[in-house]
Amino acid sequence: MLYILEDAINGILMGSIYGLAALGLTLIFGVLKVINFAHGSLLMVSMYVAYWTITLSGLHPYVALVIVVPIMFVFGYFLQDIVIKPIFKAEKNVREPITVIIVTTGVWYILDNLTLLIFGPQYRTLQDNPLRGKMLEIGEFMLSVPKLWGFGAAVLTTLAVYLFLQKTDTGRAIRATSLDREAASLMGINAYKIYNLAFGIGTATAGVAAVTLVPFNNVFPTVGVLFDIKCFIIVVLGGLGSIGGALLGGIIIGLIESIAPQFMAATWAEAIVYGLFLLVLFVKPAGLFGVKNDW
Amino acid sequence: MTRKTLERCAPLALLALALALPLAVQSATYMHILIVLLFYAYLTTSWNLVGGFAGVLPLGHSAFLGIGAYTSTILSLQYGISPWLGMIVGGVLAMIVGVLIGLPTFKMRGAYFALATIAFAEGFRVMVENIDKIGPFALNGPRGLQIPPLGFGLGKMLFADKEPYYYIILVMLVVVLMLTAFISRSKLGYYLNAGGEEPEAAMALGINVARAKLIAMAMSSFLTALAGTFYAQLNLYIHPKSVISLDLSFEIAFIALIGGRGSIAGPVLGAMLLRPVSDFSRIYFGDTLPGLHLIIFGVILILVMTFQPRGLQEPLTRLYHWVIDRLSSDRRTA
Repeated sequence: MLYILEDAINGILMGSIYGLAALGLTLIFGVLKVINFAHGSLLMVSMYVAYWTITLSGLHPYVALVIVVPIMFVFGYFLQDIVIKPIFKAEKNVREPITVIIVTTGVWYILDNLTLLIFGPQYRTLQDNPLRGKMLEIGEFMLSVPKLWGFGAAVLTTLAVYLFLQKTDTGRAIRATSLDREAASLMGINAYKIYNLAFGIGTATAGVAAVTLVPFNNVFPTVGVLFDIKCFIIVVLGGLGSIGGALLGGIIIGLIESIAPQFMAATWAEAIVYGLFLLVLFVKPAGLFGVKNDW
Repeated sequence: MTRKTLERCAPLALLALALALPLAVQSATYMHILIVLLFYAYLTTSWNLVGGFAGVLPLGHSAFLGIGAYTSTILSLQYGISPWLGMIVGGVLAMIVGVLIGLPTFKMRGAYFALATIAFAEGFRVMVENIDKIGPFALNGPRGLQIPPLGFGLGKMLFADKEPYYYIILVMLVVVLMLTAFISRSKLGYYLNAGGEEPEAAMALGINVARAKLIAMAMSSFLTALAGTFYAQLNLYIHPKSVISLDLSFEIAFIALIGGRGSIAGPVLGAMLLRPVSDFSRIYFGDTLPGLHLIIFGVILILVMTFQPRGLQEPLTRLYHWVIDRLSSDRRTA
């Protein structure tokens, strides 16, 4: 019983990091109404940026945040501005432009394989990593320290994004655009600039997730794919576009992944996740916690 | 010649060229590349029935390919049933699964539909990887199934040379192209088109959009499964990651979108354009620049979607009509 409890806690910690990774995806969907298939690749790029920042500068891994997050914000902002915006303009009247989904898939292929070309297929781990294998003993439980920090980062980032959307003028403009692009434009909001911003913020949160992942997760060109499909599942579970839902959806996935292997072969746990995902899609497509346009 | 005769002769000339091509190609490698090209053209044309005409974006078609490949292979390995018969059984099975998937998913909006098909195909792959046996049928989990190259012949769909495979897949492609041409001019084609562009308006006109999409899905999954059998007989080895792969599902959609989805020639054009890129970059740069062909794919995809969202078939069709116009005796423009 105690083992299961320990697994459950570790599952919640890991799951919250999944949720953090998925936060940007749900934000971008909420505003642009587009599933960003390149999201896993943006996470992967962030992990490489974090890895090289920490390795070259010798900073403490978490200090890298101040460098990685701005870089990723700029990266996301201009990716949307240069690559994705022209297609939006071409398909102005479509609410959910499929061509944009396709273009993000193209971005995914380019980023993943460009990284493969430049850095090669090898797995990289941080050298001189002060957090490696660090455990915290609480009573009978052993908890991974980097995952605890990750949990904290996930909760704080989710809260920050939520407050930003609720309390600031820019946040209100983003929410207005998400609800009704036309009406927002009539109020003098530049919708395309809001799209750039949302994409930038979404990519920056992937940067936060990457910094918390790098101390205990290998970095390699296809690492994004592992998170990609997980992130899709999480955001649908939590409700596409729901900020808090991403965190909760992530924790659900983390719990299933950590507890299910106690009762069955670990590989079956993956099938359960897909099954649950399809079930939610069929029964409650707005997600477990999402209300339509809840922000 | 008049325009009409020319327009009728052009596809026949192309077919004659395709039939004669193996006479000119001596190397087995190039023959294989051609076969794979036709295989992708066939897969994409089958995908196009749903992904093109019905206006949704299915990204899990490799599941149907897997059903076809596994069904015929199991039946022929364990029961000695000819793959030709197994092909039909696999097709029917895939059709049933396709309809069962379509029933709940066609109600979803674009992004949700794409995600649901991905999740279905990935979940299906994980299941096949975890199952060694279903009742009397051995699946062998992640190890897959091997077809021993014994007893060649048409009945066993097993050949020592490449040429028979070439002609089989060519015939399959021609049939599916004719079917597509027929559907696009039929009531079903118009229903699908209307339902894909403006579902509400189509329903207001009394069109049963959901039923039309289901019929398209049934045909598409059936046809895709047939290609699965062909794949198994060509490569003689199938395993979950090779036949039920996400990469394959995406590549089919890419080819269709670059060629031009919803058109008859688009998928074939897409395959003719992208397969050589992929094959030759792998042959020449496979060691030094791994993944180069996928970068090229991505760049082409973004450029085509930005500047020619209806695919490359559009400018090429215009060119084709221009050429026909030039050659015909009764020219439209004086």
